[in-house]
Amino acid sequence: MTTLRGKLSNHLFLTVFSLLMLYPVIWWVGASLKKTVELGLPTIWPSTPMWENYSKGWHFSGDYTFAHFFGNTLLMELGNVAGGVFTAALVAYGFSRLQFKLRAFWFLILLLTMMLPGQVTVVPQYILFNKLGWVDSYVPLVLPHFFGGGAFFVFLLVQFIRGIPRDLDEAAKIDGTSVYGIFFRIILPLIKPALVTVAIFTFIWSWDDFFAQVLYISSVDKFTVGLALRMFIDQFDIQWGQLLAMSLLSITPSVIIFLFAQKYFVEGIATTGLKG
Amino acid sequence: MGTAEPLSQAGYAEAVKAPGRKRKNKGETNLAGYLFISPWLLGFFLLTLWPIAQSFYLSFTDYSLLEAPVWTGTSNYANIFSNDATFTKSLSVTFVFVLISVPLKLFFSLMVAIALSRNIRGMNLYRTAIYFPSLIGGSIAVAALWRNMFGLDGYVNQVLAWFGIQGVGWITNPDTSLGTLILLNTWQFGSTMVIFLAGLKQIPQELYESASVDGAGRFRKFVRITLPMLSPVMFFNLVLGVIGSFQTFTSAFIITKGGPINSTYVYALFLYDKAFKHYQMGYASALAWILLGIVAALTVLNFLASRYWVFYESDGGKAK
Amino acid sequence: MRKKRSSVLALTGLTLLLAATACSNSGGGNGNGNGNDGGSGNVAGANEGGETKAADPITLGMMWWGTDERHEATKNALALYAKQNAGVAFKPEFMAWDAYWQKLPTLAASKTIPDVLQMDAAYIQEYVARGQLEDLSDIDLSGIVDPNVVENLKIGGKLYGIPLSQNAQGIAFNKAELEQYGIALPQKNWTYDEYFQWARDARAKLPEGKYPIGDSTDWGGYNMYQTSMGKDPVMADGGKKFTLDKDLFMTYYKTYEEFRKAKIVPPAEKGAAFLENDPQADPMASGVVMTRGATTGSVSALEQLMPGKVGVVNMPTGPSGGGWAQSTIFLSVSANSKHKDEAKRFLRWFITDKEAGKTLGLTRGIPINPDIYKDLEPTLAEKDKLGKEIYDLSVEKALPFYSAAAGFSEWVDTYNKEMQAVTYGQQSIEDAYDKINKMGTELAAKAGS
Repeated sequence: MTTLRGKLSNHLFLTVFSLLMLYPVIWWVGASLKKTVELGLPTIWPSTPMWENYSKGWHFSGDYTFAHFFGNTLLMELGNVAGGVFTAALVAYGFSRLQFKLRAFWFLILLLTMMLPGQVTVVPQYILFNKLGWVDSYVPLVLPHFFGGGAFFVFLLVQFIRGIPRDLDEAAKIDGTSVYGIFFRIILPLIKPALVTVAIFTFIWSWDDFFAQVLYISSVDKFTVGLALRMFIDQFDIQWGQLLAMSLLSITPSVIIFLFAQKYFVEGIATTGLKG
Repeated sequence: MGTAEPLSQAGYAEAVKAPGRKRKNKGETNLAGYLFISPWLLGFFLLTLWPIAQSFYLSFTDYSLLEAPVWTGTSNYANIFSNDATFTKSLSVTFVFVLISVPLKLFFSLMVAIALSRNIRGMNLYRTAIYFPSLIGGSIAVAALWRNMFGLDGYVNQVLAWFGIQGVGWITNPDTSLGTLILLNTWQFGSTMVIFLAGLKQIPQELYESASVDGAGRFRKFVRITLPMLSPVMFFNLVLGVIGSFQTFTSAFIITKGGPINSTYVYALFLYDKAFKHYQMGYASALAWILLGIVAALTVLNFLASRYWVFYESDGGKAK
Repeated sequence: MRKKRSSVLALTGLTLLLAATACSNSGGGNGNGNGNDGGSGNVAGANEGGETKAADPITLGMMWWGTDERHEATKNALALYAKQNAGVAFKPEFMAWDAYWQKLPTLAASKTIPDVLQMDAAYIQEYVARGQLEDLSDIDLSGIVDPNVVENLKIGGKLYGIPLSQNAQGIAFNKAELEQYGIALPQKNWTYDEYFQWARDARAKLPEGKYPIGDSTDWGGYNMYQTSMGKDPVMADGGKKFTLDKDLFMTYYKTYEEFRKAKIVPPAEKGAAFLENDPQADPMASGVVMTRGATTGSVSALEQLMPGKVGVVNMPTGPSGGGWAQSTIFLSVSANSKHKDEAKRFLRWFITDKEAGKTLGLTRGIPINPDIYKDLEPTLAEKDKLGKEIYDLSVEKALPFYSAAAGFSEWVDTYNKEMQAVTYGQQSIEDAYDKINKMGTELAAKAGS
């Protein structure tokens, strides 16, 4: 249906727009290969690329390479994503489809927990986790994801589930399916795009969450990538080349995951046999 | 179904009141409901409640973090409201930020999501490229990049110079610094856009097909199908956008530090400084609870207004 | 019904299982938290090499900030101590400067500050005033640290931090460009009048877009001026005495106002964009300003940005002197430590032991202990020499280092913001003075009560 000209102009627009958004990557790649003295220059590309920014950065710590820190972070992320996606779906289904006492009240509480700035709960929380003996482990970072994955994701999934027509549930109910069956067999497959969204955001946001990581992790062998990166920055002395090189590497997992998780957005739910 | 009836039925309150159509055994649904929300409930009681209660208590104390808290009654609140010019300033900076950046980001990300929802070859690459700015989040590179773009000798001013316009130091001019941060915030529209994208993909294609049969044009389809079907997701983005923007912190923290002359001293940054830089956690806690009050009030308004424009497929649209 | 129940069970089971994996996942290492028993990593390992096993081995927690070079050297020094002292192991924790000061208040609140911690002159008053640090006056430092230095570092008559290295405040200048434009290089022991005149003269010779000196909005710069003119420091006696001399204040900032008009200092918008030690935004490395403040500890970072171009001079002086030269980095012992005696023994060793000195090298600056420095002098690199030069130039006229008193951190922010409003032309110097003076006087009254 689309004409060739329309297609071309689509691509042209998207390419220009993408390049505009990608400007930082280009700048970043160039900067990561520069010598410190060259960073002040307006040129994008260095005169001679300093590949050793990458090799030195990778091996900066005497005891571990960045591979170790990537491993740590991915392990932590595995827990976060698994816990977050599954429990957020459970909780969201409860809030959006089931009727129970005080439902509105609990939902209100859920939303309220998002509105208090984290800066004032971080200290009591640290004291709590410290008493439980969880400091310098991943428990304080991972465990919260297993309790519904946070209000943001619960609310997000609630909105998606409420967008699904109730006829499907009703039909299943008549067939004798329990609420649990409805959740696993009907709702879960239908909200797949939203679940992928939750997974991606959980991944990216916990990768970024430096404040929590610096507080709870103190041994180098447990360092995440985010913590390792901060080792390049001190009060006066910043290892710019290595910092830029390693932080560029540090975002690649997120980029790859985003790139591959996309097909789930594309595959809408139209194919799942909804009657019009 | 071709002509969905948007914008009419079903607000949130209504949904809460009557979600299930068949009254079943009450005890049983109660049990099922609580079972499903139990992960959150458990977490709330085990991990969240105590720190929240603690911060509420601390808001009535003088607490330096380095010494035990001392009860001072409501004096933190009294001081905030009676003689703290910085409170007023940071609150107004934050209001301006929210008022401009939330609608701007919603509009922009919806437009981009629609452009990216089509199935074109190579779309996954475009999407990733466009999502990229949101991936780099609060990284150090962002601060450096932003200085590069909006500095006195930055790229923006170089482009303006072609047109004979003398630019300012966008970040360091008190009149433009907040606007620059809003722009940065809008540039990182990726998350909102992805949620729209997922929402768009959830709209059954059959609706569009039958509308085409009825002879509806592109615009009409957008207004009659896309907008109402997307309204729950739009509502989500609006509510969360408001909640999140009131707590905006990172960009101000890494790029402007609140300056120049407090022009970008957003509320969360003010609160952070009080708590961890000036050792006044009690005062900061009071600030946090005031913010909670403001945001909660606005969220309630949002929910009340939502019954006039948010359309839930599960509640309305279909005859009983 | 039966089916229903089993799925309920399955659901609960699954949740529990997930929660359980989360715990086991994360507790990967020795998850026994902050306890002093979680001997960690390679440092504690060195202990095993010790010949005898003491009856009750103890683990000292130690926390510091710094660069990777410092981390490696310190870990090695700790291993050395553990080897020499069977029964002592360490749990080291290290991070960058920002993270350190973000984390420390939370540790204080949960009473888990490690036994030994690195301290900075900018923060020590706050932590001492709130009872977080142990009195170290009984550590015998005779023959290691100059008694005058020790006396100067005392807070309320007691020593709370063992000084580690020499530091001093001076001014760095762009030697290459000043010579290129035929401007005389700054001379040792110049006075404030000479400094200001030098700036005026240099303006005439510099092309547009370059400036001889930077603007001054922060309290530290003014405080040095006020004290060098023979007045009290802005804050004295732990913040109980507040002095903001109006005449000096007006003279100082009027001068900068004149300079702003004459383009001797960069305009406010440009000045606010500067970020020291950033390759693009450093006032000097970017080639915009010809001079800027630099310390013994920080000048090497600047030298790396513009190798071979940096020269140094001491701070401008007044009738009573100028600048400062003293230690600003310390090791302290937490007031909550359970191993205070062992910690103190370790602290003394840290600045006395020759072997340790060699291991630590210059990673915390020029060692305070002259004997150790003597051994290291031949290893000084070019960037370290500049730091040493600042120290040597400054020491003759140096005044004490004045840090903000406890409870004044917010006043410091207010000062800088009010003066920024002056540079942007949004407020008069007089109005700024009134606000700053009022707030300071009130704080001092509060501290005195």
